[in-house]
Amino acid sequence: MKLSTAVLAIAAMTFTGPALAQTKDAMMTSPPGDPYVQVSDVLPLPEFLPGLGTLFVDPGTLPAGPFLSYDHDGKLSATVYMTPLEELQNGTAYDGLSLGADTVTGVDIYYNAGHPGVEAPHAHVVLFHDDGAKGRLAE
Amino acid sequence: MNPSRRHILALGGSLCTVLLAPRRVLAAPVELIEMRGTARGESVWFAPRGLAVAPGTVLRFVNRDKGNSHTATAYHPEIFDRARRIPAAATPWDSDFLLPDESFEVTLTEPGVYDFYCIPHEMSGMVGRIVVGTPDAPRWESAAGPSDDVSQTVLDALPPVEEILSRGRIEEDTR
Repeated sequence: MKLSTAVLAIAAMTFTGPALAQTKDAMMTSPPGDPYVQVSDVLPLPEFLPGLGTLFVDPGTLPAGPFLSYDHDGKLSATVYMTPLEELQNGTAYDGLSLGADTVTGVDIYYNAGHPGVEAPHAHVVLFHDDGAKGRLAE
Repeated sequence: MNPSRRHILALGGSLCTVLLAPRRVLAAPVELIEMRGTARGESVWFAPRGLAVAPGTVLRFVNRDKGNSHTATAYHPEIFDRARRIPAAATPWDSDFLLPDESFEVTLTEPGVYDFYCIPHEMSGMVGRIVVGTPDAPRWESAAGPSDDVSQTVLDALPPVEEILSRGRIEEDTR
């Protein structure tokens, strides 16, 4: 719902620091710092999502992200994008999206029916950053 | 056994009888409705998505989806200003977001048809229909018809009342 997006936006405003782009090194471990917020802190979702890990996002980049995905040890394991299908069909393009890390060892793309924050049916595009990432995020 | 101890035991037995008997009498039937989803969230649904119950039945909604949160929310103007799809005399409910393994209960007493939805997944057709009592009951209220407030996806996902009454429960059969 739009309500959830509004919650994220409000949460973003509470982080008063300047929205400095984080260096890749700073994002390699959780938490990545401003302007990223932990998704489960601002939306009713489990802290660790099976398959996606613990997610952080800059609310200003919603809905596409990037969402930074961390494993149980706080290691950046994947960068995730969420692209509503209807928006794509209507001509919206998500170009120039940033990466959590430059190394990508595998990509999964699949349909998602929606969840708090991105309620519209959308695609999950998951870029794994090392060979063991997918396994660490599974459970 | 001395008399005082016997008396104490007898008193205890009587107390047990008094305390337990009313519970048997007052216990309302409970029906479980699970919120489910595939591991990657491709599909989400209520199980069952159609259910016939007697008036006074307690519905217990439980989130069995490890990777998502869900709500069970009645279609009613008092909740997000939605068009009413429950009996006029019924009290609307909203479980709020349930995280995995959390639950919520509501008791339905008014006879008629109740439609409900999951707030973040209504667009994907995660809706359900409860039929309380039978059409011959006093104050029975039939299912709400199509309206601009709900999508065709939602209408298609709601099982027909006749099917719910004849089968008792309708599970999601396409997962």
